[in-house]
Formats: sequence, C-alpha cells, structure tokens
Amino acid sequence: MSSGWILYAVGVLNLVGFYAIVAMVLNLEAGWGGMWDLGLAGLLGVGGYFYVLSTVDSSGLDLNFTPGWPMLLGILGSGIVTAFVAFLIGIPTLRLRGEYFLITTFAFAEMIRQLIINESDFTNGTLGITSIDRPFATTFGGIKYEWVLLGITVLSVLAIYLLMRRLGHAPYGRNMRSFRDNETLALALGKNVTRRRIQIFVLAGFLLGIVAPLYVWHIRAIVPSMYGPDITFTAWTALVVGGIGSIGGSILGALLLVGFTQGLLFIPVSAEYTNVLSAMPQLLLGIALILIMRWRPDGLIPERFSFTPGNRGSGGRFLRSRAAAIGGLLGRGSPEQSGRS
Amino acid sequence: MALLEVENLVKSFGGLRAVDDVSLSAEAGKVTALIGPNGAGKTTVFNVVTGFDLRDSGAIRFDDEPIPPKRKPWQVARLGMVRTFQTPVGFPKLTVLENLEVSGSEGSTESLREALAGPRAWGDEVGKVDRRAEELLRELGLWERCDVVLEDLSVGENKLLEFARQLINDPRLLMLDEPASGVDPAAIGRLSSLIRRLRDQGLGLLVIDHNLSFILGIADYVYVLAEGAVIAEGTPDEIARHPRVLEIYLGKGEVAA
Repeated sequence: MSSGWILYAVGVLNLVGFYAIVAMVLNLEAGWGGMWDLGLAGLLGVGGYFYVLSTVDSSGLDLNFTPGWPMLLGILGSGIVTAFVAFLIGIPTLRLRGEYFLITTFAFAEMIRQLIINESDFTNGTLGITSIDRPFATTFGGIKYEWVLLGITVLSVLAIYLLMRRLGHAPYGRNMRSFRDNETLALALGKNVTRRRIQIFVLAGFLLGIVAPLYVWHIRAIVPSMYGPDITFTAWTALVVGGIGSIGGSILGALLLVGFTQGLLFIPVSAEYTNVLSAMPQLLLGIALILIMRWRPDGLIPERFSFTPGNRGSGGRFLRSRAAAIGGLLGRGSPEQSGRS
Repeated sequence: MALLEVENLVKSFGGLRAVDDVSLSAEAGKVTALIGPNGAGKTTVFNVVTGFDLRDSGAIRFDDEPIPPKRKPWQVARLGMVRTFQTPVGFPKLTVLENLEVSGSEGSTESLREALAGPRAWGDEVGKVDRRAEELLRELGLWERCDVVLEDLSVGENKLLEFARQLINDPRLLMLDEPASGVDPAAIGRLSSLIRRLRDQGLGLLVIDHNLSFILGIADYVYVLAEGAVIAEGTPDEIARHPRVLEIYLGKGEVAA
C-alpha cells in the first residue's frame, strides 16, 4: 500500500473520531436525557465559526470580529458561546415533547446556517475561511499532520468516553434515564425535570462547542455547507446502529458507519461505475439501518450492556460487586459483605 | 389536625365537572380510603392534590400549610406527599434496585457536580439508599429480582415495586392509586399487612381501590365518590351498610349482602 492510502485512512479515522464524539454527546441528550435533538449541526456551526473567527490570523480578511486569540482560549470560548446558544434555544424548545422538539431544533439549526451565510461581515458568507491554523502544526515536523490530528482526536474521544462513563454511572445519569422513560413518575418523586433538561442541553452545547474545532482542523476550512443536516443524521445513525443509551455504542457505530462509507469510496472501479459507487454509501446506510431496526432494535451494544451486567435474577450479585467496587475506590472494604446472600 | 385537608375542591374538564365540591381529610397514622365507581373522580382528586392537574377552585392544606394552586408536582412531592399511579410502568429500562435508587436519592446526590466528582462523592449516599432498598425489597419478596430490568418484571411485581419506590422516600402521606389491582391474592395479604404496619408507624395513607373487601379490611375511614361528589363517608362498617353504597356496588333491589 502506498503512503497516500494510509494517510487517507488516517483522515477517515479522524472523521470517525469526530463523529464518535458527536454521537456520544447526542447519546447524553437523546439516549439518556430523552431529548431528540436534530439541531446538532447548528450548535457545531456556532462552535466551529466562533473558534475560527476568534483565533484566525486577520490579515487579508476584512471581518468585524477577529480578535486573534490563542487556540486554547478560542476552544474554551467556543464551548461557552455554544453552551449559551444552546441555553437560548433550550428555553423555548424544551417545553415541547417528542417530534415537536425534534422539528424545532432542526429549524433552529437551519436558522443558524442561514445566519452564518447572510452575516457575511462576520463570517465571510458562503466563501468561508480557508486559512486555518492547526495545533502542533510545526511541533512534529517529520510526520504528516494527519497523524498529529489523529493523536488529538483519539485523546478527545477517550476523554469524552471517560466523561460519559462517569456521568452515566453516577446518580446523575440514572436520574436522566429515569425521566426519559417516565417523566410523570419522576415528577411524583420530587425531581425537577425541566431544570435538569436545560442543564443537560447546555452541557451538550458546551461539549459540542469544545469539539467543533476538530472538524475544522480535519477539513482545513470552514464554510456554511459543512453544517448542513448531513452531520446530524450521520451522528444519529451512528448512535442508533451502535446502540442508543449505551456508553460505547456510539464509538462502534461511528467506526462502522463512517469508516465503512468513507472507505467504500476508495474501492477502485472502472469509470463507468463511479456514479454507482458514489451512491453506495447512502444506499448501504439505509440497508444497515433497516437490518438493525429489524433484528437488533437496541443497537449493536444495547443500553443494558452498559448498565446491568449479568442481570437475570442474580439476587444482589451486581449490587455486591458494585458495593465492593465503590468500597475499593473509597479505600474501604465492601460494606456488610456477610449480611447478604 | 389532619395531615391533608381538601376543601370544596372543584375540577372541570370542558363541560364535565370531574370533581364537584369535594372535601376530605386524611390523618397521620390512619388509612383513609377513597372508593367509588369508574369515572367517579377519584384519580382526578389525586391528580389535583399532587399538582398534576390544576384545580378550578378549592383549598388544599398539607400539615396545616396551604398549597398554592400552581405548585408543581415535584414541589408537592418534596413536601412529603407522594403518590403511585394506576399503571405501574416505573422506569422500564432501569433495574429494580436502580428504580429505588432514583427514588431514594436527593437532588444533591444527583447533581452534575457530584457526577463529575465521581463515586467518591456519591458512593456513600447511594450505599445508604441501597441498604434501605434491600430492607424494603426483602419485605416485599422482591430482593431476588433486584438486578432485573423492569421491562422483565410481571405486572404484580411492578405493582409491589411501585409501593417500595414511594416508601423509600419516607413520605408522611402516601397516596396509593389502586395498589391491589393486578396483584395476586397471596400478595394482597402481604400488601394489607404492610399497609397496616405503615399506618401503625404513623404514616398517613390515602388509598383508592376497587377491591371492596381489600379496602374495607384496611381502611379506618372511607369516602365514597360518585359523579365527582362525596355521597357517603364513615367507618368501613357504616359504609358497608350504607344504602347508596350498596346500590352503587350491587345494583338496586339486590341488598342481600
């Protein structure tokens, strides 16, 4: 294999990592919080644009807001700004349920994209910005940048995965999964569901803002068309295929989905079949989704797998093992080991 | 002083007066029953009292504190007045134990800050809830099923769990909406004795049910609702002999019981 192929594969992996993160954040919102968000692309757009505008070298650009911040500040700023936009969107939309929420968030995403196109004094409109600095671009001089970005992406995926694991297994995550399925009962138990929903939505916005630069670094440019609905639907499909509600499912889903569809484009075929091949990813995506829905509706890694290992009338075995694990973490023995059986 | 006092409660849905000037009270350490035919407005009374439906008029006091009309359900629940629902779905994707953990955990344990801090922050609290959960589950004969996801439980088991889920919060008034429906006869015996024991511990109970022998067996005081209004009230003995009650439950001219 030539090195071009390998570099292409590394690029695909970067995209896989980005989608894995977006799908994990979506899982936080939709899989656990029950908020079926179709507006991911809009929030990613806010984050991506804020990051680029706040950090870009303004020479040669005539835009209203180019403070030239350092990258780290730009990333943090994009997290905070995106969280704030999520808050503004969340206030009216989180009163809605199910499909109404879905449609409204979709509309907001589209509004954001149109704003980006039209406010060209800020965003350079449809032309976008193509001079984008990337982190550690010169630090590792000897190797191609795709490898550096792969390192950053893998670390980001790992960080988000660990964060999700922590949130998912905490009472916080349990609370989310409870009101997702039965809001009425959660209210009857004294849970302030509305406040929690907004908090999750804002947290998701913050995380999307933080990871938005990954996508920009991968593409090496920012234009409004990057933030069309495609990005949202791909993340959703990855989540559903991988297993909605489980922690690691999103990563597996993104790997299979994005890796496979992008890799497919590289199969060498004769010229007369190229148009067929370019239609294949969507076709296979649809077939994969149908197969999953028919035979494995909970996804490849179901929610149960993440939360209830070995549940089948085990009479407290899970509780004991967890009590022991918690005890171990706290540096104590398992409480009342003898009292149970 | 009664624990819960409801005065002249009115609730209409469109043209239908589902609850029509109902006054009732429930005391601590007593089982108060609310019976009546389908559509009598029993569950609506529950919904209005617990804040799930807005009332049209009337006053509700809990422990002598008035509850303002627009209080949210979760705020009412935090006063110590908790309810169950007729259809016990619970939290279907969570295990039996997790269901009780959700119920028994306070807001601070479930906060984002504690989640980020990790098990070190919330481990002790969850351990405490787990021990209380074990007690309750053993009592209800559900301990062996503690790691089963709720979707896999039987209706009867779900019903018992519904009970445990509310008890773990140490409520002051427990409002049970048809606790005995769908529960097998053997379990009904256990349920009755549990309700009596809770009453003896000083808990107030307000119970809706259709099973007359069950409810008259446990109640200290009974209200009979029909078409949104209280048509009779009294001790179980009085109610069992009350002509209008017999008419409703047995039909006219068949007063043989």
